[in-house]
Amino acid sequence: MDYSQEPHGMFLMIDNKSFYASVESVERGLNPLKSVLIVMSEADNTGSGLVLAASPMAKKLFGISNVSRQYEVPHDENILVVPPRMNLYIQKNLAINKIFREYVADADLFPYSIDESILDMTKSRRLFGKTPEAVARRIQLRIRTELGLYTTVGIGENPVQAKLALDLQAKHDHELIGRLTYENFPEAIWPITNLEKVWSIGHRTAAHLQRLGIHSMGDLAHVNPYELRQEMGMIGAQLFALAWGIDRSKFHQVRPPKEKSWSNSQVLPRDYKVQSEIELVLREIGQQTTSRMRHHRQQAGCISLYVGFAWDGQADDGRSGLHRTRRIDPTDNAQTIIRELVTLFRENWEGQPVRNIGVGLSRLSQSTNLQLNLFQNPQRQIKDDRFDRVIDELRDRFGKTAVIPASSLMKGGTMLRRASLVGGHNGGNSFD
Amino acid sequence: MGGIALIDERKEAELILSRLAPLFTAQWHCQYRIDVVNNQYGHVFNFFLDIRRAKHRERSIPLHTIHTADLEVLERVITGVRSGTALTMNFVDFGQVRWPLSQRWIR
Repeated sequence: MDYSQEPHGMFLMIDNKSFYASVESVERGLNPLKSVLIVMSEADNTGSGLVLAASPMAKKLFGISNVSRQYEVPHDENILVVPPRMNLYIQKNLAINKIFREYVADADLFPYSIDESILDMTKSRRLFGKTPEAVARRIQLRIRTELGLYTTVGIGENPVQAKLALDLQAKHDHELIGRLTYENFPEAIWPITNLEKVWSIGHRTAAHLQRLGIHSMGDLAHVNPYELRQEMGMIGAQLFALAWGIDRSKFHQVRPPKEKSWSNSQVLPRDYKVQSEIELVLREIGQQTTSRMRHHRQQAGCISLYVGFAWDGQADDGRSGLHRTRRIDPTDNAQTIIRELVTLFRENWEGQPVRNIGVGLSRLSQSTNLQLNLFQNPQRQIKDDRFDRVIDELRDRFGKTAVIPASSLMKGGTMLRRASLVGGHNGGNSFD
Repeated sequence: MGGIALIDERKEAELILSRLAPLFTAQWHCQYRIDVVNNQYGHVFNFFLDIRRAKHRERSIPLHTIHTADLEVLERVITGVRSGTALTMNFVDFGQVRWPLSQRWIR
């Protein structure tokens, strides 16, 4: 393989070791690598409780993994259980990214998730150390001394190498650093037979590859790329590049997706069986999604509804839920959108118990002016429009719960309890 | 109020006590303790309620964070908290130092 035409940069993919658990350990004066601590969310809809993060020792000693259930965690006095504080983790993430900005220009820093960032150090590497490992070490120490957190660093000549180095090498390395280059890539990656461990390969793709007789990354690298592409489409070509450690993406030219959309969904705290209760939550989510869209001065020409059934409520034909989409006249009026959603729901629901509801708005366009409908009272339409905007303003100024529909107080409403959550979990004490 | 003008120690203590009240349910065979942590990384003092019970997991619930590194402020807050609860306090990461006002060892 001739790599001379490929980009040869220096990318660092930095991730925080058990981020939430580490932050909580540091707050309690414990060493993140030694503490046996788990962050457990006890929000309504997590059932008995859900482990959001477990410290490395908790994972090692008790085999607790993230997303374990409360009942899977042993009742042991040595395990320290703490509630999540999402706002605190966001603050820490910002603090970490602020440190990264001292090593790369703003344009070369790409936060990837709440605890992962990609640093393109191609231009600034020489300022901070002789070898890539030295630069990585320096950043690690800096974060350890300033915030008390341990970070794992994957180094690569392009982003995908950095990501694989992080996932497959750094996490098991004593120094928490892994490095892949075009040169050592075959030696390090090709022997991997558990394909699901490799970033971007899920269990469906892995099964597909197995069916094609591809049982290791080495196999993947030695198939005929044209045949693979024929079999799997675009993804086939991408997987082939992955097996050779090739990534030509240019982050500076990342284009936002053409068609944006707004969506909200939630898992319900229990199985909902009564139609009025389900519709109540549907209204709340519809209201919330529409309000988000209105903040961006957009209107939707298409609505979609997702209803997930409870485990025992699966339809006779084995469906686990229903997904329907419908085109509507472009609008940003919550009442209209909610009416359409409820209609869509009534047309398709056959009495199954429901555990999951989602609403999506797409085919967006700018809502600069109100398109009056010829067949309705114009005064009424203008009033409806103003009404929505006043509610939005009230909520912006005085909080999400400043005005709520009285129906949200009825049995089954989830809006009030969810208002204080961040990403579906406890945000932490409000004025710390 | 003395100390740094921005922190009202009485209010901070009241807030801690108000958050403690619903959590301290005084169950049998249960140890309750307030952890006060000197967090050098954030230059803050953190308060937690720690609950231990035989054959149960230990729990630690955040009560409050005081944004100062001034021990005098903390001492006054602690005095305020002590006036409202008799729970044991456990001081973490303070090292061998004395309280600035009472001159007792911090422990």
